Amino acid sequence: MPVLWLILIVIAISAVGFVSGRSRAMQSAGGEIRNLHSLPNFYGANVALKAAIPAFGLLVLWLLAQPLFVNSQVSGMIPDTAIKDGSSRSLVMAEVRRTAAGLDAAVAQGQMTEQVARNANADIAEITQGLKDAGQVVTSEITQPILNAAQSYRSMNAKGHWVMSIVLVLLALAGAVVSWRQTRSDYRARNVVEKGVSVLLLAAASIAVLTTVGIVLSLVFNTWEFFKLYPASEFFFGLTWSPSFSGRGGSSALGILPLLWGTFYISLVALLVAVPIGLFAAIYLSEYASPRVRAVAKPLLEILAGIPTIVYGLFALLTVGPLLLSVFGDDGLGWMKAGTAVMTAGLVMGVMLIPFVSSLSDDIINAVPQAMRDGSYGLGATQSETIRQVVLPAALPGIVGAILLAASRAIGETMIVVLGAGAAARLSLNPFEAMTTVTAKIVSQLTGDADFASPEALVAFALGMTLFILTLGLNVFALYIVRKYREQYE
Amino acid sequence: MGMIAKIFLKETEMSFVKLSASALAIAAVSATTAAARDNVQVAGSSTVLPYASIVAELFGENTDFPTPVVESGGSSAGLKRFCEGVGENTIDVANASRAIREKEVKACAENGVTDIMEVRIGYDGIVFASQQSGPEFTAFQPADIYNAIGAKVMKDGALADNSYNSWAEFNGELPDVEIAMFIPGTKHGTREVFEDKVLLAGCESTGAMEAMIAGGMSEDDAEDACLDVRTDGKSVDIDGDYTETLARIDTNKNGIGVFGLAFYENNTDKLKVATMGGVAPSTETIASGEYPVSRPLFFYVKKAHIGVIPGLKEYAQFFTADEIAGGSGPLANYGLVADPELKETQDEIANEVTLGSGS
Amino acid sequence: MTDASMQNAEPGRHSVSLMATDEHTRKRARAEKRFRAYGIVAIATGLFFLVVLFTSILKEGIPAFTRTVVSVDFTLTEQQREESEGVLLKTKAYSDLFITALKSKLDERGLNTEVDEVAIERLLGKVGGTIRTFYTQNPDKIGEQIEFDLAASSRVDGYFKGRVSRDTIQDSRFLQKSDLELVDALEEAGIIKQAFNWPFITGADSGVDNPGGAGIGASVIGSFFMMLVVLGLSLPIGVAASIYLEEFAPRNRFTDLIEVNISNLAAVPSIVFGILGLAVFIQFMHLPQSAPLVGGLVLTLMTLPTIIISTRASLKAVPPSIRDAALGVGASKMQAVFHHVLPLAAPGILTGTIIGLAQALGETAPLLLIGMVGFVARGYPDGFLAGFTEPNSAMPAQIYTWAARADAGFYEKAWGGIIILLMFLLTMNIIAIILRRRFERRW
Repeated sequence: MPVLWLILIVIAISAVGFVSGRSRAMQSAGGEIRNLHSLPNFYGANVALKAAIPAFGLLVLWLLAQPLFVNSQVSGMIPDTAIKDGSSRSLVMAEVRRTAAGLDAAVAQGQMTEQVARNANADIAEITQGLKDAGQVVTSEITQPILNAAQSYRSMNAKGHWVMSIVLVLLALAGAVVSWRQTRSDYRARNVVEKGVSVLLLAAASIAVLTTVGIVLSLVFNTWEFFKLYPASEFFFGLTWSPSFSGRGGSSALGILPLLWGTFYISLVALLVAVPIGLFAAIYLSEYASPRVRAVAKPLLEILAGIPTIVYGLFALLTVGPLLLSVFGDDGLGWMKAGTAVMTAGLVMGVMLIPFVSSLSDDIINAVPQAMRDGSYGLGATQSETIRQVVLPAALPGIVGAILLAASRAIGETMIVVLGAGAAARLSLNPFEAMTTVTAKIVSQLTGDADFASPEALVAFALGMTLFILTLGLNVFALYIVRKYREQYE
Repeated sequence: MGMIAKIFLKETEMSFVKLSASALAIAAVSATTAAARDNVQVAGSSTVLPYASIVAELFGENTDFPTPVVESGGSSAGLKRFCEGVGENTIDVANASRAIREKEVKACAENGVTDIMEVRIGYDGIVFASQQSGPEFTAFQPADIYNAIGAKVMKDGALADNSYNSWAEFNGELPDVEIAMFIPGTKHGTREVFEDKVLLAGCESTGAMEAMIAGGMSEDDAEDACLDVRTDGKSVDIDGDYTETLARIDTNKNGIGVFGLAFYENNTDKLKVATMGGVAPSTETIASGEYPVSRPLFFYVKKAHIGVIPGLKEYAQFFTADEIAGGSGPLANYGLVADPELKETQDEIANEVTLGSGS
Repeated sequence: MTDASMQNAEPGRHSVSLMATDEHTRKRARAEKRFRAYGIVAIATGLFFLVVLFTSILKEGIPAFTRTVVSVDFTLTEQQREESEGVLLKTKAYSDLFITALKSKLDERGLNTEVDEVAIERLLGKVGGTIRTFYTQNPDKIGEQIEFDLAASSRVDGYFKGRVSRDTIQDSRFLQKSDLELVDALEEAGIIKQAFNWPFITGADSGVDNPGGAGIGASVIGSFFMMLVVLGLSLPIGVAASIYLEEFAPRNRFTDLIEVNISNLAAVPSIVFGILGLAVFIQFMHLPQSAPLVGGLVLTLMTLPTIIISTRASLKAVPPSIRDAALGVGASKMQAVFHHVLPLAAPGILTGTIIGLAQALGETAPLLLIGMVGFVARGYPDGFLAGFTEPNSAMPAQIYTWAARADAGFYEKAWGGIIILLMFLLTMNIIAIILRRRFERRW
């Protein structure tokens, strides 16, 4: 039975449970809603949740566990003789899984009968041909041990599936019946349901943790490979970043420090542009502007966040760079050598970040209770004094959140950096020099032409991992500071 | 499901239903994906991408197979995904602007990708061009380029840090304007060709290499040192595409950029090309080998997928057919230098000859 | 506040009428004006950049919406069709037939310029595909006279739009200077003309040698399906997660872990989400490559932190008195949140969602690794569900690839694509404004 149908059945059970739970509650209250502890819908939801949640939980666990179990079982069945020299057990298992999937698909398409697919003594050539006819990937001739392993793999999986289906439906029914029987007028359904919902909310919040785990897992192996090829001390403390094309071999310097410096510098310039403009815009919009101005200006500013970054990049390259060059270049102050510079990218990125600061801050300032303003006016403060000394401090936590979001975005930006600040990594204090960021280099090393097993390509993963850990550390630190700061007032 | 969802939505546990409804949608969608992939999936070099896109479009228009999907992302990422394994969720063809390396073949084999067919589609010329209305940069020798951007150059008979500001300082025939070169970044395969065929040649011909070896360097170290470029901003690495180089040339009239031949030919009204060693770049001079800076382009086919993914072998054959990759086909018309040995490539594909099987 | 009370305590001040403005009051009034001016300047700066960006986008992109067509009557005989179908490059055969027909038509008309077939070929775009598709779909039209509007070559198109001029043109195999005479003559004869570029709005990507055939329509569909996935997943999950963290989460290690993770994920470069998507969704879960479904999932993970952070900020901004009041009349914590706090926080949540979606709509880097960037020209999906799984591109990916192509015709199209992308963005913003107007309130 496909998983989809299982899900539908469980949902159906819980829907029926909802209706019957609700009516049983009404019945037990004698049709008088006031006799119930909770609103009738809570009784229905109680039954529905208890039917669905354990079943879905089990489904997820089972789907994760079954392949692991079957794999280890089948893997033990393969005789050592079936593993060729230079090959490995896991490779053979990949072959087994592919064959099993192929057999499944061939049967589903009607190209092969279930008997043939199960027949342990079937003609191997015939099976191979059958699989090919069914459009399945077959690397080479299937061998007898592989076919047998694939067949037992299939039968174990099929068995597991059936057991799972039965257990799941029973579990859903049991949950429904038990909770249905619990349903009485004095049953505290609301409390139970709310407990359940809060578990669901927790699950949604945990997705962030899962994503982090996923990111770490997808980076860690290649990072490990990189550190096997390239000394970690040089990566973390090296002062030059100059990867050579892998054809040369051995002479790349892959120090992360110039990239981190570039990231910090460009983000700083961007925030110096975005925060004052964004904050003042937010203050004006929420405190001074008429509703009509606000209704127009705010969404207009938000559009700045949505313009594709390639447009900003081209804007930096074609407009802002030459403009800055004419002022600070050799014809002007003589500080700038070329249009691509930290300043160019920082300014343009700052423009992009304005709405991140302005829109969110505006919402937050807007939400400061009017009573606080009125109190301040009542004491004789002017509007700007009220804003500076009453409204802003009250809105500060939210504003800091908005600024952090903008900073995050600045760290993660690529296109503006590549086109505006260049591709050269440099350790310098001069904001009119070309520099580059970690993110830009992750993209360029990942999408380059180098040998994919070379340190020059793998360094992208190490860079990603380092940036990830660094920002994680900064966030832990920020949380700690915020906590400490808050506790003084509680 | 819609009905159920509607009933539920009235309740407080909105989020729960939305969650399970979306989970359901995903489950429903993934259930339908069991259907086999019917298109050829290609990934890899952004240098090969233009040619592959021409072929893919024509392949879709002229055959009954669906138009192949050609992803960009670089030779490295393309080959990496190629070597990820065998099966529908991996790609069938990897485009590369260089030959696959030994280490990569090994990595492939470890993941079960053993039978790989190598197809050379032609050659890519690499040219030096400047703004159409800028100074007269029309004739270069590798030595000029090396003198302009090498890290250490010969000055008054001795090896010194490069301090040249203008082209005329080392070659009176070149314009007396500031040096500004836009060269491919180290991520690009083009960089390798540029280093081998221009910088190294220039380093040797100016005598810098000899001086380095005389100064106590081993030959390998001297070769490496020859490939270093100055870092004072006269030479700018471009990690983006040729369009970025073009934009930079547009804003700098003294700028000289490194382009692919096809890109230059499509922009002759904006760019002026320079000769290298006295030879003007064109499909003819590159095919004959007179113009020195060029490199072969490849794609790699997973033999295990032939006969399984519909149209895979046909795609490879179509790509290398005389009507397509030949001297008067659309690829050559766009700027690819046709491979003189196309016939052998065609035979190899027909016989499904794989790497290491005597090809 | 403190300033004001301090001043009042000073003796002597009261001797002056409260109505008269003394130096101190004037100073405060000036500060007030300055402060207000800063705000206006800030908004003006933002809007100035918006205007600058919009003008350059419009200037570069508007030409993409017109195209130059060669419009000629053409008749295909059954025999010609069979011959053309017999060769490998069928589209070339059709194209040659068309060129021959056009030449003989021109000879009949007796134009006062030299006409040869190679020159005509240079003037035309890649027309074979269009002709073959037409006759494959309408086999009954064979033998009838059909008027075709076929794309002119990119250079000729550029000549009409001012991108190519007689002064700048260099002779090449793409166009000769002398061809422009023929173009002028054909324009006079009404054979070459400008038309609205429908294929650009409705079509799919084309090969790099065929800018006239490139359209953004298919990738709009791709973006649409991705946004469906993003909206359907990230809004409920994001709101649920924010409610938990803001209203229910106990203070413990696990909550801290979640909080730190969320703010950290916001700083993860988007291409890393691509790496994650490739590893988890394609290689582990075996979802199809180049599919909007996978793109949507990746973008969901990428957008979630943005939505969660802004939703939390707006939940935080709802005054505690609202909760207290709800609790006071007997609502449970859950009911107070879902019935009272959430609706009041809706405008802020909307803002965050719109910014998050806008970011997702314009993002290219994560799509690079899951196969949606490059040449994806499958055209429209076969049905609603297929829209999620069939290979497709997305608007920003399409723009990105066009911007990297050699032919200037594609550069123009990239800007045209940006205009369309911005139109989507504006629509989303307008919806948000309407919703915000309905919900917004001030305490």
